[in-house]
Amino acid sequence: MSAEHLRSTAPSPRSIRWSTYVIAFVITAAIFGTAFYVSNYFSAKRVAEIRATQENISIDILSLETQFDLLAEHSCEDIAENSVLSRELRPLAARLSYIEGQASFNRDELIQLKRYYSLLQIKDLLLMKRVAEKCSLEPIVILYFYSNEGDCEDCERQGYALTALYEKYPQVRIYSFDYHLDLAALDTLISINKVARDLPALVIDDEVHYGYQAVEDIEKIIPGLESMRVETATTTAQED
Amino acid sequence: MLNIEIFSVLTHVLLFGSLYFEVFLLVSFLERLIRTKEIEIATAVQLPSITIVVPCFNEEHTVARTVDSLLALIYPKENLRVVIVDDGSTDATYAAIRQYSNHPQVTLLQKENGGKHSALNLALKQTRTDLIGCLDADSEVSPHALARIAHGFRDPRVTSVTPGIHVKDPVTLLQHMQKAEYRMSVFIRSALAGLGSIFITPGPFSIFRTEVVRSLGGWRHGHSTEDLEMGLRMQDLGYLILNDPRASVYTIAPRTIRGLFRQRVRWTYGFLRNVLDYRHMIFNPKYGNLGLLILPISLFTIGGALYLAGRMFWSIAMAVADVLARFAVTGWLGFPSLDPFFINTSVLWITVYLVVAVTFGIVCIGSFISTGSRLPPRGTPLFLALYSFIVPFWLGAALVRAIMRTGVRWK
Repeated sequence: MSAEHLRSTAPSPRSIRWSTYVIAFVITAAIFGTAFYVSNYFSAKRVAEIRATQENISIDILSLETQFDLLAEHSCEDIAENSVLSRELRPLAARLSYIEGQASFNRDELIQLKRYYSLLQIKDLLLMKRVAEKCSLEPIVILYFYSNEGDCEDCERQGYALTALYEKYPQVRIYSFDYHLDLAALDTLISINKVARDLPALVIDDEVHYGYQAVEDIEKIIPGLESMRVETATTTAQED
Repeated sequence: MLNIEIFSVLTHVLLFGSLYFEVFLLVSFLERLIRTKEIEIATAVQLPSITIVVPCFNEEHTVARTVDSLLALIYPKENLRVVIVDDGSTDATYAAIRQYSNHPQVTLLQKENGGKHSALNLALKQTRTDLIGCLDADSEVSPHALARIAHGFRDPRVTSVTPGIHVKDPVTLLQHMQKAEYRMSVFIRSALAGLGSIFITPGPFSIFRTEVVRSLGGWRHGHSTEDLEMGLRMQDLGYLILNDPRASVYTIAPRTIRGLFRQRVRWTYGFLRNVLDYRHMIFNPKYGNLGLLILPISLFTIGGALYLAGRMFWSIAMAVADVLARFAVTGWLGFPSLDPFFINTSVLWITVYLVVAVTFGIVCIGSFISTGSRLPPRGTPLFLALYSFIVPFWLGAALVRAIMRTGVRWK
């Protein structure tokens, strides 16, 4: 290689190739744009997944209501107290809670999903009450009111406690509601149960309990829980 | 809420800047590859005379291997001199180098301790060869390194050529991580060379035209980073510094976090103080890509890295607090969900994944251009995963010392 060739190819410390700056910027912007597109794609996919789950739950509720009407004159053995709704609602709650914590999700869309979810819970609660009345059942129900607006220091702890309670007593029906959600049906539920703006609040047997309640505290409030655990163990043993 | 949005925008801007810098270097590197052919090793007819200075301070365990590697260079013996300068060592360094006292290529000098730059300047006074270079007494050269570097001086505009530096015989996990880091540096230095923007002439085996170094007045203390100060001074005067990534030099990397921390605080401190001395170059297009982009982005990287590290540590602290709160209530820690629904796919995280992926690519390219290996070093995954947790500490310490002007210790 000649010295002349080296002179023509060696860089100059003072030279600037502006095209390099522009090309690099375009490529970086394209990569960033791709990141935005991919993120939005996955966000939309998550929302669609939640909507689909909610639609399925809605259909299941309608189906159960229709089933209940059809079986009005028949035995309660045909209607299960613990329907599939409990299994579907809890994973949905976890998903909603997750996307609520992600800044990338559209807040209006999230609010819509939460409102629909709250409605489905209320529908499930009402249906469960009808079944209980008709079939002389005594389900254990907890209504949990919380807030994400910074006015409930103990709400996170209460959520963990209720999750632990559910895992210990899967028969317990726990319904969680965002106190500040703009939903007429929810406002009515709050009004009926006379829940004040002192959160977290648990409604158990028509009585409101304010402040953090640990698993042990709830077990004291609901003495029937222990027997439910024994029944569950017995049922499990019989199934084995 | 506005605060959160400002922080979010700032984070995205910093990540965009990091990605832009990596893409810029890659594009420059590819453009240069297209424009030039690989430089061949010079033939014997073309080789200039050269003096390699080995400054030592308490290097009794390593200096002999350093000198042996120099004497094993594939280079005409009559064109190569080695000058070992004992800079007031208090251990058995001088006893270790006395074995070379009768070697025809070696000169031994002894002086009172005055710092590496003073040892180099003492050797410079006695040097009559065309080129002069330095090799740290804890480093070794590959046999072809000098011939490769010498070839770079065929262009009369070239005043300095720098090598590709590698970690010698890594043992600890930390050294393996540094090996990956050095491969990344090989790429960065090569890319900067193509932009005419090298501003550090590393201690291990950077070679200079003797007349240029003499005209510059020799080496200066340079806030304990005389290699960086020399590089900036040469750039300030428009001298051309090149790089040959295949001229391999092997240096001992710190084995422990403490040793690494001390070394990197010194480097970062030196960078900040020297850039302050040469601040007229920043954002100055007169100094080409170095002034317009490289120096400014190197400075912003320090602040940006500290900010991003702060955000990262805060997020981790929040996550740990969540886990502890759950443990306090439920008595168990819980397991992370394997459901893909819960994989974080925010723009922020996808960009972080991409920056990591591009960095991995850069490490691979650095490995390939220096050693021919298509695989990165085995410490690369650890380097990518853990280095971002370690770096902010020495950046922060160096920034504080630079602001307070406290100085740093060499050893």
